[in-house]
Amino acid sequence: MNKRRSALLGAALATALLTSACGGGLLDSGGEEESTDGPITLGMVVPMSGSSSAIGPYMQNGAQLAINEINADGGVLGRDLELQVEDEACDPQSAVAAANKLVSDGVAVSVGGYCSGATLPTLPIFEDAGIPMIIPAANSDELVDQELPNVFLINGTGSQQADAAEAFIESEGASEVALVNDNTSYSVNIAEATRDRLEDGGVAEVAAFESVTPGESDYSANVNAILSASPDFVYWTGYYQEGGLLVRQLRQAGYTGDIMVADGSVDASLVEIAGADLAEGVYATMTQTPDTIEGAETWIQDYTDEFGEAPGPYSTQAYDAVRVAAQAIEDAGSTDGEELISALEGIDGLDLFSGPLEFTDEHTLSSGGFVILQVQGGTFALAPSAS
Amino acid sequence: MSQLIWNGLFVGSFYALIALGYSMVYGIMKLLNFAHGDIYMLGAFTGFAVLGLAGGIPASMSLVALLVVLVLTMLATGFAGVAVERVAYRPLRGSPRLAVLITAVGASFALEYGMRVAAGPNPRVFPVRLGGESFEVLGARITVSQLVLMVVAVGLMAVLNAYVMRTSTGRAMRGIALDHKASLLMGVNVNAVISRTFFVGSALAGAAGVMAGAYYGRIEFLMGFVIGLKAFSAAVIGGIGNLKGAMLGGLVLGLLESFGTYFLGGEWRDVFAFGVLILFLTFRPTGLLGERVTERV
Repeated sequence: MNKRRSALLGAALATALLTSACGGGLLDSGGEEESTDGPITLGMVVPMSGSSSAIGPYMQNGAQLAINEINADGGVLGRDLELQVEDEACDPQSAVAAANKLVSDGVAVSVGGYCSGATLPTLPIFEDAGIPMIIPAANSDELVDQELPNVFLINGTGSQQADAAEAFIESEGASEVALVNDNTSYSVNIAEATRDRLEDGGVAEVAAFESVTPGESDYSANVNAILSASPDFVYWTGYYQEGGLLVRQLRQAGYTGDIMVADGSVDASLVEIAGADLAEGVYATMTQTPDTIEGAETWIQDYTDEFGEAPGPYSTQAYDAVRVAAQAIEDAGSTDGEELISALEGIDGLDLFSGPLEFTDEHTLSSGGFVILQVQGGTFALAPSAS
Repeated sequence: MSQLIWNGLFVGSFYALIALGYSMVYGIMKLLNFAHGDIYMLGAFTGFAVLGLAGGIPASMSLVALLVVLVLTMLATGFAGVAVERVAYRPLRGSPRLAVLITAVGASFALEYGMRVAAGPNPRVFPVRLGGESFEVLGARITVSQLVLMVVAVGLMAVLNAYVMRTSTGRAMRGIALDHKASLLMGVNVNAVISRTFFVGSALAGAAGVMAGAYYGRIEFLMGFVIGLKAFSAAVIGGIGNLKGAMLGGLVLGLLESFGTYFLGGEWRDVFAFGVLILFLTFRPTGLLGERVTERV
């Protein structure tokens, strides 16, 4: 018994020593990867599987397009750029694992982040490692409220989206508005911000404020609750999977008023899940998709030639994120985290698809750049009556 | 109000179909087959695959096509259930109940992630969707497709009831549920009857899967997980091991969810459903209609 006990104890001690050495070693190698030659790696945590998986490839390809163009131009500081993509699956646990992997692989800048609920827990991980984040899609105000110095958002924030939503709702003359969210950070943020603005505005009334559980198929009970408040305008602030089901079930239950979705629901999959006939006429608040930007035809053609398929939502934002990162590295003259952060703050007038870039004090865009889209003939396009 | 009741009954009929499989297997083997919810998922994907192979189907034929696919899927999932029983549960026939339970969880994961490898992690849209006009009955809005699905579900449950009550296999099932060893002594082919039980239970779950895919439209590899838990709760609420209890429990759970969502809000739906389960397990563990407990003379 004694021999066995001491053998076990010895084994446990050995394991503990080994893993602590491993842990220290991994962290060290991540920080010391400040090699001055070899490619600079940009890390990207995007949903490649799960409920928002349709968006991942659009963002990956958009970023890769920018990297290919920059490398063809001679790279940054004489070095090539490289993209490393990890899967967040729109799930906080997967995102944390993905972020840790990127940190230990020694990325210089993070240019990913789509689902705010999954991106939020990765913020302190990148901050501890001194890696700046340029977030092209995730835009919950909670990300801004963390007030971490390394976080920069190049998508309009939740508050800015709520401003655009409120303006459109009031211009459409809606009087009873139902706000529906899916209980995640991004969704609740927009819903609450819109509710506050509508209540302050005094023109339209918030008839219902509902939450649904994501991942289910049957929302009849929620639809019933929404319809019993008799709204003439429904604003869904979640993602496209539940959005498609909600649109379909709302229309099948006899709702004839307007439906609007937030930017997380803008994707062809929404139309597919809802059924093209039932999704017709659905509005959306969105920053920009490649087909709604004027003068982007050559860019769209380059993308299609390179990847064999058309770009989608957030391709342009991911492309811009890489360009911002490259500009910052060029300005800073190194890949050191602190210097990159100062360089990013100092960017003035870099021409992005959303306009000339200058970060506010909170590291967000000065104007959201949200427009109103509408499903016409099965795809999202600029709404005709957009203000 | 009547809309709430109709919605609750509709969702409840899905829960009931799957809860029947749970109850039957528990009654005969005292095993909680956690892989049962994934048979539902398997049914949905089988229906998806068959409809994909069939190619374009005109909208007027959609109901007929779905019924054909339903029968085919029920056969396929029935055999899948028998296969799971052969591979995962039969070798552990004499083992303590905990070992079989763990195996059931393992079988569940194997089915889920096997489907993920086979069909990809992204949700798919069912090629044939049931839409349909609706009409008002007593203030509730009922669509034709909902009515058809309810009729099919009730029909399947009635057939099952007749099967268990009136046929010799059904009598053998009830006998094995009462006393396993005595049935063996009486010359009942226990292995064959157990396989048939799994076949019937899995066929019902597969049918529910196809109907859910056709009605809601979206299927993915994890869809069996939550509905398996809900169906298990339904079976417990009605009295596990009791077939009529499973049907009642499913409908009751559907109604509870419907009313709970209406009065408490959408985000409390699962909390409400599982909270009721906890209450039942605490105060009335044998369920509404009571468990079929072995009678000892």
